[in-house]
Amino acid sequence: MSMQPVPFVELLESDFASCCAQLYQEPAVRWLLDGRLHPGGEELTLRAAELAGIGEGSRVLDVASGAGTTAALLARELGAEVVGVELNESAVAEARAAAAEAGLDGAVSFAQGDAGALSLADASVDAVLCECSLCLFEDKPAAVREMARVLRPGGSVVVADVTVNREILPAPLLSGAARVACVADALPLEGYELLLRDAGLHVGWVEQRCDAIAAMADRVEARLRAARIMRAPALEPFRSGLDDAVGLARLAKQAIADGALGYALLVGARTR
Amino acid sequence: MNAREEVFLELTRSICPVCREVIDAELNARAGKVFLRKRCDEHGEFEALVYGDADRYLEIQRYNKPGTLPLAFQTEVADGCPSDCGICPAHKQHSCLGIIEVNTACNLDCPICFAESGTGPQHNGDGGFSLTLEQVEGMLDAFLAAEGEPEAVQFSGGEPSIHREIVPMLAAARERGIKLVMLNTNGIRLARDRRFAPALAALGVHVYLQFDGFKDSTHRAIRGRLLQREKQRALDACAAAGVGVSLAAAVELGVNDDELGAIVRFGVEHPAVNSVFFQPVTHSGRYLDFDPLERLTNVEVIHGIATQLPEWFREDDFIPVPCCSPTCRSATYALYDGDDLVPLPRLVDIDDYLDYVTNRAVPDLEVRSALEGLFSASAAGGTERTGERLECVACGVGLPEELRDVAAKGFMIVIQDFQDPYTLDVRKLMKCCVSEITPHGRLIPFCAYNSVGYREQIRAELSVNNGGERR
Repeated sequence: MSMQPVPFVELLESDFASCCAQLYQEPAVRWLLDGRLHPGGEELTLRAAELAGIGEGSRVLDVASGAGTTAALLARELGAEVVGVELNESAVAEARAAAAEAGLDGAVSFAQGDAGALSLADASVDAVLCECSLCLFEDKPAAVREMARVLRPGGSVVVADVTVNREILPAPLLSGAARVACVADALPLEGYELLLRDAGLHVGWVEQRCDAIAAMADRVEARLRAARIMRAPALEPFRSGLDDAVGLARLAKQAIADGALGYALLVGARTR
Repeated sequence: MNAREEVFLELTRSICPVCREVIDAELNARAGKVFLRKRCDEHGEFEALVYGDADRYLEIQRYNKPGTLPLAFQTEVADGCPSDCGICPAHKQHSCLGIIEVNTACNLDCPICFAESGTGPQHNGDGGFSLTLEQVEGMLDAFLAAEGEPEAVQFSGGEPSIHREIVPMLAAARERGIKLVMLNTNGIRLARDRRFAPALAALGVHVYLQFDGFKDSTHRAIRGRLLQREKQRALDACAAAGVGVSLAAAVELGVNDDELGAIVRFGVEHPAVNSVFFQPVTHSGRYLDFDPLERLTNVEVIHGIATQLPEWFREDDFIPVPCCSPTCRSATYALYDGDDLVPLPRLVDIDDYLDYVTNRAVPDLEVRSALEGLFSASAAGGTERTGERLECVACGVGLPEELRDVAAKGFMIVIQDFQDPYTLDVRKLMKCCVSEITPHGRLIPFCAYNSVGYREQIRAELSVNNGGERR
């Protein structure tokens, strides 16, 4: 049984959210992240899917689905049926095209929309994934409430996100450039737990994966330095800030080593 | 009852370092390191450190590429490894690199020489040898018969640059289409004979220059003489002539293991240099006075580079080379622009391509093949083949074109722990891909040649006393 594509949802954008969603579509940023837009790449996505109990025929909502990589992976590897909701219009188009090309357009569908006002019916999906994007949402409680609403009783939400310990986080990581890199608006681990609980979900499992974010920060730092060595045109708009960016990446690496930044998977189950 | 202090890993074979008898040997992990222990009925028990990090030793076994069959074997299996060299049909790998030792004469008397070469009459006169051009051509033809299109050959000695016919010998290798022809030299002739570097440049020969460090004490301990000025002149002559150079450092505990970072930095900054090879000193030949439990392995050298150049390297930048046994050789490539340096493994997830044991899909077989060429005993930095392969990798993993150009000039660093009569493990020997080519046309794995007794045997056969020809 395949799901109907979600109808168009009126864009309820805040400037900040659309700027973030846009940024991750930039070729330069994609290159910096080596196509892996969240820590841990496919391996950690499959781990999240395992924690969410996703399998053959599972109906899954992927919140902030970007270019549709996760949706395609879940359909291809696990046989799931996935709806992706994404704020950025061009990402939605790209995701649809990629799914069609991969012959997955029967199993995955994408809709442009806001995580805080989903068009899906109550209790209509078996699992919800939200990878490395809750930290970017301006109204986090609304987004998590929506995830809980569309989830069927017995199903699970898995939130994978950057965690932060503000007391020991270096100040430069709270400024503009870091803000869009998922740091400044991230929560401490307990903050995500609280969000899930407040939405009526039972938090039964928490998995900290600092190794994944450390590897990502490392990759970004290396690619920034490589870009500085070769003067890549793809990074032209960022050139003046390249040195600053290298400095920021190094600061982030140190912060991860010090425990000021981390990455975690949280499983919230809807019990009723 | 008490527990043993060590974990028994595996049983292998080795030799008695005194009588060279083939004997059983155990590999054990103790205090986080790997040791090889063996017992000779006549000469007692011997133990040697073979790898400085037991975790890494076990972890990197995945980097083990299935061997390639050579086109021809030169011997048959009779007594078993390491007594049938070679290459015998039981050997697990073809020869990535062939070595031809053209003489035993040298213009130095290095205290560490594993080839027992030198300036004395025993090396130049009746106890030594000097091959003829015809002999070398025959050896090259044997190498071609075994390899088809050999990747790399290195001329060594003795000191090959003082052989009267070294240039025609190098030319003979080029004429046979061998892609990388290297001259392993101490650089003295390059420093003094200003026609020599241009002659090498005309043949496209790559220089493998002994370069152990900068301190007087290093030069005295390893080469017996201060050679800093000669090395500098040799390098500048190569740069002026357009000859590519690999620096080859013999590294000894407590002698020059504090100069690893300085050697790398010097290398990346010198216009002629495009690779650095670090080789923990081999305790064979005349250099036998040492404690086999206190020696350098690849691990300590990698650790030393990372500690001395923390702004550029860390230990996981060095990838086990999978064509030979993964604990024999580690290597990396680096992108450098005169200011910053980025190791290639930070940009490419090499594990995705060179892990041959974990069962998973390789993202791109062309990239794997290019990486196999790069992480091989036949590779050197700055060569055309290396450039093409680096470009292929850069392209395959989506690096932009501008970075591909930088990548193509990638600087290579290699750490190679050769085996000696104390550390010899036939399990590693059986996959060795560096072969000594003998005048009889045999290909003898390098560590067997130096440890098992082949070197002495061949030298005796070739020496003037036995009908050899004085040149």
